[in-house]
Amino acid sequence: MLHLKNIEKVYRTSTIETLALNNINLAIKKGEFVSVMGPSGCGKSTLLNIMGLLDEPSEGSVELDGQPVASYRDRELARLRNQKIGFIFQSFHLIPDLSVLDNVEIPLLYRSQNGKPRSEYAREALEKVGLANRVKHFPRQLSGGQKQRVAIARAIVGNPELILADEPTGNLDSGMGNEIMNILETLNGGGATIVMVTHDEQMAKRTHRLIRLFDGTQVS
Amino acid sequence: MFKHLFRLMWNKKRSHVLLIVEILAAFLVLFGVTSLIIYNLRNYREPLGFNYENVWVLQFDSRNQPDSIASETMRLLKTRALAYPEVASVSLFSSNSPFSMSTSNGSMSRGKSTVQSNQFITDRDMVRALNVSVVEGRWFNASDEVPDARTLVIYQPMKTALFGDEKAVGQYLVFGDATKAENQKKYRVVGVVGNFKGGGEYQKNEPGVFQIPPRNHWLRTLLLKVKPGTDANFEARLTRDFGAITKDWNLDVSYLEKQRRNAHNLTLVPVIIFLIVSGFLLINVALGLFGVLNLSIARRRSEIGVRRAMGATAGAITRQFVGEIWVLATFGLLIGLLFAVQFPLLNVFDLEAGVYLTAIGVSAVVIYAIVTLCALYPSRQAARVQPSVALHEE
Amino acid sequence: MLAGRASTSPSPHEPHTPPFKGGITYPDMLTNAIKIAWKVLLRHPFYTFITLFGISLTLTVLMVLTSFLDHLLAPHYPEHKRERMLYISRVALRDSARQSSRTGPVSFRFIDTYVKTLKTPEKVGLTTFFGFANSYVNGKRISLQTKFTDAIFWEVTDFEFLEGKPYNAQTIAQGHQVAVITDDLKRQYFEDETAPAVGKNIDVDNVRYRVIGVVRAAPVTRPTTAGDIYFPYTVPKSNYQSEGLSGSYVALILARTPADFGAIKAEFDGVVSRIPRPVLEGGNKYVVVETAASTYLESLLSNFFEAQATAIFFSVVGLFMLLFMALPAINLVNVNVSRIMERASEIGIRKAFGAPARTLVWQFVVENLFITFLGGAIALLLSGVIIWFINTSGWIARADLTINFAVFAFSVLVCVVFGLLSGVVPAFRMAKLPIAEALKSNG
Repeated sequence: MLHLKNIEKVYRTSTIETLALNNINLAIKKGEFVSVMGPSGCGKSTLLNIMGLLDEPSEGSVELDGQPVASYRDRELARLRNQKIGFIFQSFHLIPDLSVLDNVEIPLLYRSQNGKPRSEYAREALEKVGLANRVKHFPRQLSGGQKQRVAIARAIVGNPELILADEPTGNLDSGMGNEIMNILETLNGGGATIVMVTHDEQMAKRTHRLIRLFDGTQVS
Repeated sequence: MFKHLFRLMWNKKRSHVLLIVEILAAFLVLFGVTSLIIYNLRNYREPLGFNYENVWVLQFDSRNQPDSIASETMRLLKTRALAYPEVASVSLFSSNSPFSMSTSNGSMSRGKSTVQSNQFITDRDMVRALNVSVVEGRWFNASDEVPDARTLVIYQPMKTALFGDEKAVGQYLVFGDATKAENQKKYRVVGVVGNFKGGGEYQKNEPGVFQIPPRNHWLRTLLLKVKPGTDANFEARLTRDFGAITKDWNLDVSYLEKQRRNAHNLTLVPVIIFLIVSGFLLINVALGLFGVLNLSIARRRSEIGVRRAMGATAGAITRQFVGEIWVLATFGLLIGLLFAVQFPLLNVFDLEAGVYLTAIGVSAVVIYAIVTLCALYPSRQAARVQPSVALHEE
Repeated sequence: MLAGRASTSPSPHEPHTPPFKGGITYPDMLTNAIKIAWKVLLRHPFYTFITLFGISLTLTVLMVLTSFLDHLLAPHYPEHKRERMLYISRVALRDSARQSSRTGPVSFRFIDTYVKTLKTPEKVGLTTFFGFANSYVNGKRISLQTKFTDAIFWEVTDFEFLEGKPYNAQTIAQGHQVAVITDDLKRQYFEDETAPAVGKNIDVDNVRYRVIGVVRAAPVTRPTTAGDIYFPYTVPKSNYQSEGLSGSYVALILARTPADFGAIKAEFDGVVSRIPRPVLEGGNKYVVVETAASTYLESLLSNFFEAQATAIFFSVVGLFMLLFMALPAINLVNVNVSRIMERASEIGIRKAFGAPARTLVWQFVVENLFITFLGGAIALLLSGVIIWFINTSGWIARADLTINFAVFAFSVLVCVVFGLLSGVVPAFRMAKLPIAEALKSNG
């Protein structure tokens, strides 16, 4: 469902040019669980940004569900992100001044809502990650693993087809990391396509496919 | 979306206390000055009731001469004044002449109702000197000048207050409280005139009465209506001639037009001062807003990135930050409303509720407008934050 | 290892070579800091504009206010000797039950008997305070402020005589009907500015006077000396022969040095205590006589407040100015903090290299002072314009507001206070930021 063709990404400052991604060609099928590995600074996050329509490649094209997104403007990209993509970040990025429930609701704020109220959808998502009893808590009252679970709930509350996870277990110990992987595998079992960037060989082994990056280029 | 922003801002209320307090203060001062302006504007719309153009005001100080001599002197002056071709009409008036900054009032009653009333003492020729029109009945004439005539002419607000739709002419009023035994001398109303706002256009239209001077009471002010084009040469001649009659007395010549402008200044100066203070407060609200927004956006780059990733358009981010400021403003305004709404409820200063309610509305609109204006630019800056840059992990 | 100067002006996105104490002098660090400050300001023109706007507006208002205070209180034309002068302008008479009282300026007789006889002062002059009269010429009326004075009045003040000279004791003794007029009045009455007015006649309130001098007019904000026409006290309508202690006159006491003030006040108090009580005036009996020789400020304040209020006056003014400054400063703190936050990574690197908190605080304080002084310079310009406008608009007749040295020095002080107020807080917050957090918040 996601096609990246001849992707190149160059970062320019006033004095230096950095080639972050070079000649990336990827096709990710619906329902796949893909992991991306590589040393620090090799462009993993850049790749994820481009996949998630958060950044534009300097060269090449991105297609989501057969639609090329190069010509899309901010409003259409935002709509796609809202409806088809869910993000999970290494540092969770929960909003500290909002309760767990309010945090999970956020993607629903940006779509026109008919039918059930947002809080119901949010509660359902929190049930799926096992945090239904913490809806009124604030992020500072949660452990690392719980925070990441909230982030996952937020990513899935809108039922996206594609989930992009940037080092989801990077800030967690192995026990909690395991739990997170379990949840991701369950989601994948339910039909979600997942692309996960990770450092962890063990986690990567549990996925369908592994893509290795080195200095911006695919090596496997 | 607003519920979401309300919860967000409510959780963060502590860090925004200063801004909320500033908005509160600005609202309260704005409320005060707008109420004042609306009150003055409403008063302005009621007509003055008399004509002040080309009217000179001569005030005399008899320097402790006995009253009988003073009365006679004033009569001589009036006759002398009428002899000049430049003078159209002359009238004697009590010291609370129009725009004179001195007031004389007391309560008057009819039966059980009592009102506070301005009390003017003048003579038969006042209507011509000041161009006042009689609405009902008649003005004073010779029959009112006999001792113990005890007649009155009232003006419109007095009629409305004590008589409503009934006919006032022929009825009786009493000075002071009618129920008290000592206030039993009844005065008969012989006429009603229109308005008479002796304090100027910005004065509230209050009830009042006119009287012929009682025995042994002499009037200190002479109103001269002069023909247009009369200049200071005549004034020089007049003061010289009058000086010859009054000898040691002090005489002060002024013009109603000039005194009217002074009366206006008295009303306008507090308004201007309040406007300046509210301007200062609003500028500080603006400064505070810019600071808070700038800081807030700098600190929340990752939140902006997350929301963009979740599907917020740039426009949605702008609207969010403007909306947050609206919520803060609403907090401040709600507290301010608690204070402001006391004014119409308790009828403070005896102003109509409408004045206060309009003032609340206008002040709230001004605050929201200013706050929106100031929040626009920083919020647009926030929207320009690239989602990818904000989430840059490495 | 680094040695010698840091020669590049760093942009906050590139790593900055920290100043190494080995070859750096304080002026170098200062110019460096200012260069950085300038670049930082240019990077966000909008917020720089906002900050400058807030600072210059506040400082402009403060400077204009200071100029006003200086105009009212400092020795200016025609009262250059004000620092050596005491004034007796009020007497309060009260009865024993404190029921009735009579307050107002003193009478001529009072000054003649009790003030002119004092031994400590160098000179004592007198004048009426307020008086009004009318003059009619060429079909128009001129409203005049009149003053009746003695000859010494002209010696304790510093009027500039454009023509002629003042009346002296002899003229007064002979009761001549002469007058000194101002240049404004000469312009209004005689309309011919080239011909001298001395020797011409002027009619005031139907009495004829001969002009013997023309002075440059004083601003109305100096009521002790301001007027349109000055008469010797022997002319009609001056009331100088009235009995009693209260009247319409003011005494101007010139001391040899300000150090004599105490002695003069004591001597006068002694004289007043020997005035026989009860005092009969206006048909009433009064036993309490309250009057004092005060400095200009004291006597000005006594018009509004009963007690001696100089100290209170200055502290209220100071407090007001502080509050007035503090509010915008507090509001601008957040703008400053966010400005500094942007450079958090620079701070982190500096701290990692061991820069002590003090250096960082110093950097930011310099930056803040820089923008404050920039705002101050703009404020100086703006206040100059406003003051020129006030002087020429005639709103206060014959105003002569200036930005003299005192005003300027005070303004500089105000800038420093303001800059510190709005800069120290964010600077300290930033300096205390833990290093890791600073490094992580990459711009």
